[in-house]
Amino acid sequence: MITFDNVTKVYQKDWVALQDISFFIEKGEFVFINGKTGAGKSTLLKMIYKDEEPTKGTIKVLEQNLRLLKKKNIPKLRRKIGVIFQDFKLLQDRTLEENVAFALEVTNTQPRDLRKQMLEILTYLRLSHKKFSFPYQLSGGEQQKVAIARALVRDPYILLADEPTGNLDEKSSQEIIDVLLDINYKGTTVLMATHNLKLIRKVKKRMLRIEDAKLASDE
Amino acid sequence: MSLLVTSISLFLLSLFAFVTVNLYHFLNILDEKIEIIAFLEQNADYQALESNIMKINGVRDVIYVSSGQALKELRAELKETEEVLRVFETNPLPASLRIKLLAKFRNARGLEEISDKVMLLRGIRETIYGGELVDQLKKITGVITTFDIALLLIIIFSVVFVIFQTIKLTIFARATEIDIMKLVGASNSFIAIPFTFEGIAQGILGGFIAFVLTVITKRVAVSFLSDIYFPQGYFFLGSILCGIIFGIIGSSLALRRFLK
Repeated sequence: MITFDNVTKVYQKDWVALQDISFFIEKGEFVFINGKTGAGKSTLLKMIYKDEEPTKGTIKVLEQNLRLLKKKNIPKLRRKIGVIFQDFKLLQDRTLEENVAFALEVTNTQPRDLRKQMLEILTYLRLSHKKFSFPYQLSGGEQQKVAIARALVRDPYILLADEPTGNLDEKSSQEIIDVLLDINYKGTTVLMATHNLKLIRKVKKRMLRIEDAKLASDE
Repeated sequence: MSLLVTSISLFLLSLFAFVTVNLYHFLNILDEKIEIIAFLEQNADYQALESNIMKINGVRDVIYVSSGQALKELRAELKETEEVLRVFETNPLPASLRIKLLAKFRNARGLEEISDKVMLLRGIRETIYGGELVDQLKKITGVITTFDIALLLIIIFSVVFVIFQTIKLTIFARATEIDIMKLVGASNSFIAIPFTFEGIAQGILGGFIAFVLTVITKRVAVSFLSDIYFPQGYFFLGSILCGIIFGIIGSSLALRRFLK
């Protein structure tokens, strides 16, 4: 599903973010990407949805070589990948419902399908009763759930989570992890970047550890 | 804010066009006045002369002014001081032909050439024309044109730059929204269309406001200068069109860095 083959990313002024990274992630896997802040976890995730280009090496996502993917086809790739972030990236001036619908509007989904898909996802995440609330009226955990709803509403093959619990307390973090695990259980491949080793140990899933820009371990 | 800047920028452009149009209108009137006056000998056959002069290359029109008419015109020009004319017992003014030239010949050389040809005709006593003065006028027109074009380029550049900057600010304010759009797989055109429409709408509204301001300026100018040339329809269309074009250019320039 995701293949990195000797991938190196060098930012300007010879700052090496990632060096010779190779791994393979199968369909339906749950994988943690671990490393200190600034280790290159976010860069790695960004390269999967082609927000960053590798300097060297090959990346294949959903059987597609990303280097050969034309610019105009990037949106199509992104529609198959959901992404969530530490800072949620929600639109503050729109309700929960509108934030989720946003992901469907950009692909011109029919209004009737849009409502149906949205209700399903909001019910699944137990957010329906708050659909008219604005992000600032929600707790951090709830906001992250909205972001997850937005990422999932289009049934992605892959879900990328970049420090999704970074801004959350322990209880909310656990809730988010449980949601991610459940999503994975239902068949979506999940990649979660985090520096929180305690959290990873609790869950016991595969972990790729990045240290000094290199892949230090795969366990 | 953005609309205010667009309106003012377009108003400046419109004002510039207004001044330019009037300057050229004025120069055109002067240019139209360039003519050769050929004085006739007494009892000359002016009709034959008229048709002969019309045949000369470069002549657009010939107007006959009888000696009586010339006197009338002189009297009108002299107004209160017309008594000086009483000194004469008879009308001292000769009949003349006013020779209008094609635009191409309205210069010192053209005037001289045509005047020489006219002088060869029987019945012509004398010709007078501006000569060097005309060439000076042409030179001034040339200088004005150069300045005008340079100024126009500067103004257009500034207007596009200002509009681009203001649209960029609006787009910056919505950077998160654009980021999320890209993240959830919106195509570039999907993202760009609303901003482009916004740019166009702002351009139209700004153009309209600029037009209204120009009309007001014209009203004010009329009270100082009587002869004002203002083709309202063209100004209206021009303002709106410039607004639309600058809106499109501004928004696509501003969006470019977001949609790399």
